[in-house]
Amino acid sequence: MRNSSWRAMLRSPLVVIVLVVLVWFIATFLVLPNANLLISTFFPDGKLSFRALEKLISSERALKSLWHSFALAATLAVTVNVVGIFIVLVTDYFKIRGSRVLWLGYATTLIYGGIVLAAGYNFIYGKNGFITNAALNVFPDIDPNWFSGYFAVVVVMTLATTTNHMLFLGSSLAKIDYQTIEAARNMGASTWRILWRIVLPALRPMIFAVTVLTFLTGLGALTAPLVLGGTDFQTIAPMILTFSKSSGSRDLAALLAIILGLATIVLLAMMNRVEKSGTYFSVAKVATPLQKQPIRNPLANVLVHVAAYVLFVVYALPVLLIVLFSFLESTAISTGTITWDSFTLANYATVFGTPSVLKPFVVSVVYSALASLIVVLGMLFVARVFQKHRNPVTTLLEYLLHIPWILPTILIALALVMTFDRPNPLIGGQVLTGTTVLLLVAYVIVKIPFTLRLLKAAFASVPESLEDAARILGAGPLFTLRTVLVPLVLPTAAAITALNFNSLLDDYDTAVFLYHPLYEPLGLAIRASTEGENNLDAMSITFVYTVLLMIIMGFTMWLVYGRGGARGRRGVRRGTRRAGAGAGPGAAAAPVAVPVPAAAVATVSPAPTPAPRA
Amino acid sequence: MIRFDDIEVTFGEHIAIPKLNLEVEQGEFFTLLGPSGCGKTTALRTLAGFIEPSAGEIYIGGKAATKLPSEKRSVGMVFQNYALFPSMSVRENIAFGLKVRKTHRAETDRLVDEIAAQVELTSEQLAKNVSELSGGQQQRVAIARALVLKPRILLLDEPLSNLDAKLRVQLREQLKNLQRELGITTVYVTHDQEEALTMSDRIAVFNHGVVEQVGTPEEIYNRSATEFVATFVGAMNRLTGEFMQQLRHAGGSTLAPDKSSYLRLEKVALQEPAHGASVRLHGVIADRVYQGSHSTYTIDSHGSRIRALVPEGGALPLVAGAAATLYIDPSAVLQY
Repeated sequence: MRNSSWRAMLRSPLVVIVLVVLVWFIATFLVLPNANLLISTFFPDGKLSFRALEKLISSERALKSLWHSFALAATLAVTVNVVGIFIVLVTDYFKIRGSRVLWLGYATTLIYGGIVLAAGYNFIYGKNGFITNAALNVFPDIDPNWFSGYFAVVVVMTLATTTNHMLFLGSSLAKIDYQTIEAARNMGASTWRILWRIVLPALRPMIFAVTVLTFLTGLGALTAPLVLGGTDFQTIAPMILTFSKSSGSRDLAALLAIILGLATIVLLAMMNRVEKSGTYFSVAKVATPLQKQPIRNPLANVLVHVAAYVLFVVYALPVLLIVLFSFLESTAISTGTITWDSFTLANYATVFGTPSVLKPFVVSVVYSALASLIVVLGMLFVARVFQKHRNPVTTLLEYLLHIPWILPTILIALALVMTFDRPNPLIGGQVLTGTTVLLLVAYVIVKIPFTLRLLKAAFASVPESLEDAARILGAGPLFTLRTVLVPLVLPTAAAITALNFNSLLDDYDTAVFLYHPLYEPLGLAIRASTEGENNLDAMSITFVYTVLLMIIMGFTMWLVYGRGGARGRRGVRRGTRRAGAGAGPGAAAAPVAVPVPAAAVATVSPAPTPAPRA
Repeated sequence: MIRFDDIEVTFGEHIAIPKLNLEVEQGEFFTLLGPSGCGKTTALRTLAGFIEPSAGEIYIGGKAATKLPSEKRSVGMVFQNYALFPSMSVRENIAFGLKVRKTHRAETDRLVDEIAAQVELTSEQLAKNVSELSGGQQQRVAIARALVLKPRILLLDEPLSNLDAKLRVQLREQLKNLQRELGITTVYVTHDQEEALTMSDRIAVFNHGVVEQVGTPEEIYNRSATEFVATFVGAMNRLTGEFMQQLRHAGGSTLAPDKSSYLRLEKVALQEPAHGASVRLHGVIADRVYQGSHSTYTIDSHGSRIRALVPEGGALPLVAGAAATLYIDPSAVLQY
């Protein structure tokens, strides 16, 4: 990174253009809407007012939702850690037979989350769900609503949010110096003592980080409580959604969103502080790679194997059933009687043959592709400017671009709706609320921090000597950018585009506030299918949507992480960052960069990509 | 050819080079030698135009070049890590500068082939990606890329440091031969004294941003101007006061008693030399390290631990604990 005065920076016309556009974008879409949200909540008539707060205190529903959110977040902090740490240990630490297969089962949440996952569990375990119907045939007295409320939300979110553990905790585990384990064993420590005293303490900062992320995910959960919470268990986010629909309670929605934002900021600040507090990883100059540990006690070994495979079934079953059900007639699913004749391609034919059914899918693909391309293209220039010119101006702009990481998506969406529902001079006097543009803007906004951070890392990993070499050979800045730098960061840029695309494809949280009624995205269509009593056709179509999403997401993940075989897979599992494709000669020939955000990313991202969505 | 005139380089509050005055002659192989962080690379990068000095002037070919951008200084540079463009083939790397200059394609090919032949790169290697080459081959590509534009000055920033010892020796001979063949003015940065002594026409020894001595390798080694140069270049025996007293008593009366005194290892003989004035001192062999062509003896003598290089094949070896006689020419003692 180079220091450069802002005057020197302004000598380049390209940099000036980038900065002007950037300042406009930050002011218009990052600062103004959130400031406007605060003002409209606390200064509704130009004077300080606590009316929203009074409304909140007097609203039993709102207070209950706050309590539910914190209760859910606290519960998840425990359950997700228990399941997540167990998963990491059985796939990466202990010698477990078939651990690769187990890993695949646990990794299903990488390609299946958010509204899709909540809907999937609802169709299988919810009222009228396949398993529920099958169980009712045997035990007619059981409550058909058994899988709803707090319990169902906790179960689904626990399974959905272990992705952080798989990526980040797995990565931390791989960094433990194996010699410390050998040294402990040499001094007579048992398997469990080593795990308890050596391994887990070394993982403490990352466990803390993922706990905070989990807590935040629980706090801001929208889809799982919405689909599975029932009337008795609603949390902040669904309440914000409900309150935002009426102009009379919008201030209440805004206040709840602000509370959510404040909690996020406080927790992230705490996490940053803890992260900086000490060295936990290897201090060895040459760390030895971790080797898997056998469980020497035969009984414990059997118990761990059994638990690992039971968990595997829990994870894999919904995915397998969804694939299966996508080929079944809806009546077969609802009655629970499946014969060979029940199998059909009719659901797929309906999706691909009916424009109105295919439309949400196309809308989401178009939105995701456009947003992913725009954000990567824009951030390519911004990251380059930030990386090359380090001064107070660029530092400030960079901080401002991280606003979407510290504010919940719901707050950002609500702020955009409330700000651009009237003509605004910053956007040429246009109104954006209710148009197709606002959702695209929101998608671009929420993907900025992740994209910027990784692209900047990619630029930073290109040795400065390459630029010096180009310069001494007579190449100008643009020529160097085009012929030397861009080819080196292109693999990373492509990977980020793919990951952004994936994470936006089944978005519900942002879309539900900002979508255009004529261009309903997939998340909304899936959510609609979960409403109502006997929406069987919609359910079958959702299964097809889900299978298609899983194929696209799986393919994308393979493109980003999987090419290059085992090396790529290790990349995912350990979260290794090879964002620096091009760090030296031959780096361009390396597989696609693996921009898995490690702890550093987790520190500021309540929803890093790929993130658990629930 | 090159002149540093009162050059000062600062990084914020830190003064990396306080005041540098140097001259490099046309066609000279000039080395900037010093330990890590001494300012030698900073001086080279300032000459290349990557760092703007806070004071002073650089002259290239008699013309002020301080404000000239690097591409207009007619310098070619080989970087420590070679800085080859990984997304390009060997040929594309070498042709990069020609492409920037919009040289005609046929002419580009001709020039690339010509320089490739000079640095012994084959046509098969030209077609490869740079990552497919060995370290030595990559270094040749970096040299070819720097030379293809026919610069007046070649700058080399520790280009051999990433190579194994054997290849390093081989390549430094080739590099020196190539420089001699082309007659190009070369400024070479290294911390390796052996490299500097074997390759250079002249050497500037840097310490904390200051040039302690400029001279030929022989001058630097045998007539080190400062204590730092004496101890940094080559191995030295540091002589204690007691040893110096004995040495002065035994015949070295011209030596000052109160100065820091040093003696090169090869200036200590364990057998009486056929020629030259020498004084004798007694000691006891403490250790012997066999090194193939010679052995290094450590002798305890009058409060000093003296090391001596003894070629193989003489009347020695002596064993540890044996009495030994040291033969020393007092004029070989360096005092500061």
